[in-house]
Amino acid sequence: MIQPRILGRINRDEFFGRDAELRLIGRHAVALDDTRVLVAAAEPGAGASELLRQAYDQLFARRGDPVPIYFAFRAGETAAQLAPRIFQTFLQQYVAYRRVEPSVCQARLTLRDVLELALPGDYEFIAGLFQLFQREESSTENLRTFCLNLPQRFAAARRPVFPLIDCLNLQPLSRELTLAHDFVSAFESSSAPLLIAVLRRQATELIHGFENGDRRAHTIMHVDRIDDDSARNVADAVARRYGIQADEATRDLIVQQLHASPSLISEFLRTAHEKQLPLAGFVDCQRLYVDELLGGSIKRYFDRVLELAGVGPQSRSMLFRLLSESATSASRQASPWAWKQRLDFGASEIERLIGVLHVRELVNSSGALVEVNPNWQTWLDYLNAQYQVEVAHEPRAQIVASTLLHMLKRSSQTMARKYRREVALGIDEVIAGFDCQKVPASLFHYDKFSARYRGEDDEAIGRGLDNEAELFELPQVVQTAACAAYSGNLSCETERCVVAHGFESGEYADANERVWICAQIDSKLEASRELTADWCDRLSAFARQNLFKHVRIWLIAPAGFSAGACELLNERGALGSSHQQFEILKSRLAPQETDDTLADEFQMVLPMSADTELIAARTAEQIARRVNFRPEAINQIKTAVVEACINAAEHSLSPDRRIYQRFVVEDDKLVITVASRGVVPVLVAGNGETSDKGNGTSRRGWGLTLIKSLMDEVEFERVDDGTRLKMTKYFGKS
Amino acid sequence: MADLSQDASVQARCVGDAAIIYASDYLNKLSGERIERECKRQLESGRRALIINFRDTELVNSIGVSILVGVIDAAEQSTARLIFSDVNNHTAELFQMLGLTRHVSLASNEDEALSLVSEAQP
Repeated sequence: MIQPRILGRINRDEFFGRDAELRLIGRHAVALDDTRVLVAAAEPGAGASELLRQAYDQLFARRGDPVPIYFAFRAGETAAQLAPRIFQTFLQQYVAYRRVEPSVCQARLTLRDVLELALPGDYEFIAGLFQLFQREESSTENLRTFCLNLPQRFAAARRPVFPLIDCLNLQPLSRELTLAHDFVSAFESSSAPLLIAVLRRQATELIHGFENGDRRAHTIMHVDRIDDDSARNVADAVARRYGIQADEATRDLIVQQLHASPSLISEFLRTAHEKQLPLAGFVDCQRLYVDELLGGSIKRYFDRVLELAGVGPQSRSMLFRLLSESATSASRQASPWAWKQRLDFGASEIERLIGVLHVRELVNSSGALVEVNPNWQTWLDYLNAQYQVEVAHEPRAQIVASTLLHMLKRSSQTMARKYRREVALGIDEVIAGFDCQKVPASLFHYDKFSARYRGEDDEAIGRGLDNEAELFELPQVVQTAACAAYSGNLSCETERCVVAHGFESGEYADANERVWICAQIDSKLEASRELTADWCDRLSAFARQNLFKHVRIWLIAPAGFSAGACELLNERGALGSSHQQFEILKSRLAPQETDDTLADEFQMVLPMSADTELIAARTAEQIARRVNFRPEAINQIKTAVVEACINAAEHSLSPDRRIYQRFVVEDDKLVITVASRGVVPVLVAGNGETSDKGNGTSRRGWGLTLIKSLMDEVEFERVDDGTRLKMTKYFGKS
Repeated sequence: MADLSQDASVQARCVGDAAIIYASDYLNKLSGERIERECKRQLESGRRALIINFRDTELVNSIGVSILVGVIDAAEQSTARLIFSDVNNHTAELFQMLGLTRHVSLASNEDEALSLVSEAQP
């Protein structure tokens, strides 16, 4: 069934890339999640307002409780204007929903019209609200207070509503932001579900005070730019709608240059349609792009932000000079004070300007320093074009020509960057999943890997790696970022060079801190010693510039490294892998199936009380019997489980007094994990050995010794709080 | 004639100079302490040999075993003989692993245990 368009500005079948977000909102509306407020923290231009409108349309079509109410705050609105508009929106959308008449939602109606449209069953309730509204109307403050409690009033009348509040047009430090905060805070205090959409850099300001000690108060849903594929679908759909013929490469270029922004893409194609311009290739596309930069939708978009920031005609020229200097200079950053001096702005004006530019992500401001956001190409193109017009005062024809030539020269690089991004190995994701896992060491040493496995098929390599005795324990990575995000002049693409911070041995101590710098390098053949040395030097210098300590360099080359290069890597203590090694590593690090629905997985939580370890032992016994362990092995498993439970209960100072157990039957083994919250026992934090010598004379501390003797593999896994003991028993062994 | 006593669910009986104490199905801290108390009581009453019968014991834990070490100490101090009987294979393996079998004899059943006691007596 096609969903009717009510508040949505585009048809549902042309709204791409937000299925997951719509599902989340749908679940939140009916309180299926565990949170009171869902906060959609949006990247500017990501289409979050449309997401809310589409969610409204979806909920309207779905029917049932609660009744969705969409409300968008407007820039510059006063309290006197806001309260009546909120009241009318709530009433009108409520009546529209109850009447199942979408057209009522946005019809121009008076409050009396709305009252007349109310269903007989709702009339008394709506009339009551209307009377209260009239009573308070004479006082702005009273009316505001009355409207703050609207969701509660609906709930009290057993007419639950689900407000979807669009705060994306609020300006920093503005009066309407304070008003919006008051409203959403009041709405939040009702027990009903609530959705708030806000620019991600403004989210904290808007939702502060929500928690009040309740961890379930809000959940953040990130609404970032849609992915390239979805943006291409948007371009396809809009081009189809307007009957524009554009080849795939041109559509891809449009998506890249417009930063995958659905609204800018739609505007761009609408302009092409209105002006009847062809988009048959890069020249057509860039010609229109330059027009849009100098006088079309792109210019209007950024001009509007500057207007909101309080930039008047007199200050535009100096602002473009400042921004262009920031975008092109080596240091990129300047202080707000320098901006204030050069723009001749007052303190509040400069605060507002930087605040608006920051929340709209045109600049990055840390408070002490400001820099132009270098990652939004459309914005940089706009800046460059406006600089030429308003600062350099170049003739328009010359600006158009030079910009067009520049864009055409850049087209192939833009596309190449996209292609490289698509085939990037995904180093950051792999590193983020290291999590103290142990992997065959040869995966990080091309020389060893090549010596053992060159010419072998995948199966043989897999077997060989399984049998390798030398294992490499990976760090627990806590943060990854592109090298480009750090200071320094290391020139490489975002996806291909990554810095990862973490800890070795899973222990958060200074000595265990590690910084991995990983780079994907290009080389058709095995990377030469010279190329490898060059990369090692560059990355080492980068590490020094950023004062990184305990650095590990990891290079990844398509075909691996020459013998000389391997020698150099070993000399420098660096790691080197081929793409094949990387892919194998990736597959080995992939999370194991831990879906709760797995047939061969059992989970149990036991209280720490007398003899509950027996329940765990009986459970382990039943599971072990199902997979035909021999009786003696079953006894060993039971005893190990008992000992693990006793250890957890005795040593952990557990705050919740619970033991968490998981039994997983795999192809050839039973894996049991026994976890508890609390402190890490000394015997775990140390070397894992007890002081007991097993001579029968010491009285305690035998638990871990027994477990190690009875099970085939025993290890303590890293957890933030407490301990998790993983015990493995293979089917074939006794 | 055999004398059957019971201390908080620990069954025991005496055969001549020997006391036979029956361990429960799960040897843990509580049941271990009961055995220990009964053993000490028997030693104090002059028994020269203690036989702990594990015929019902399915599972032992390290705390229970550690308490048995206390029983071994007490028996040694009283120069009394200590024998474990009817120990299943798994429990015997644990006793061996933890070094208890260096200090105590294992008998397959009560009769064998009593024979060991009588052999040792002058």
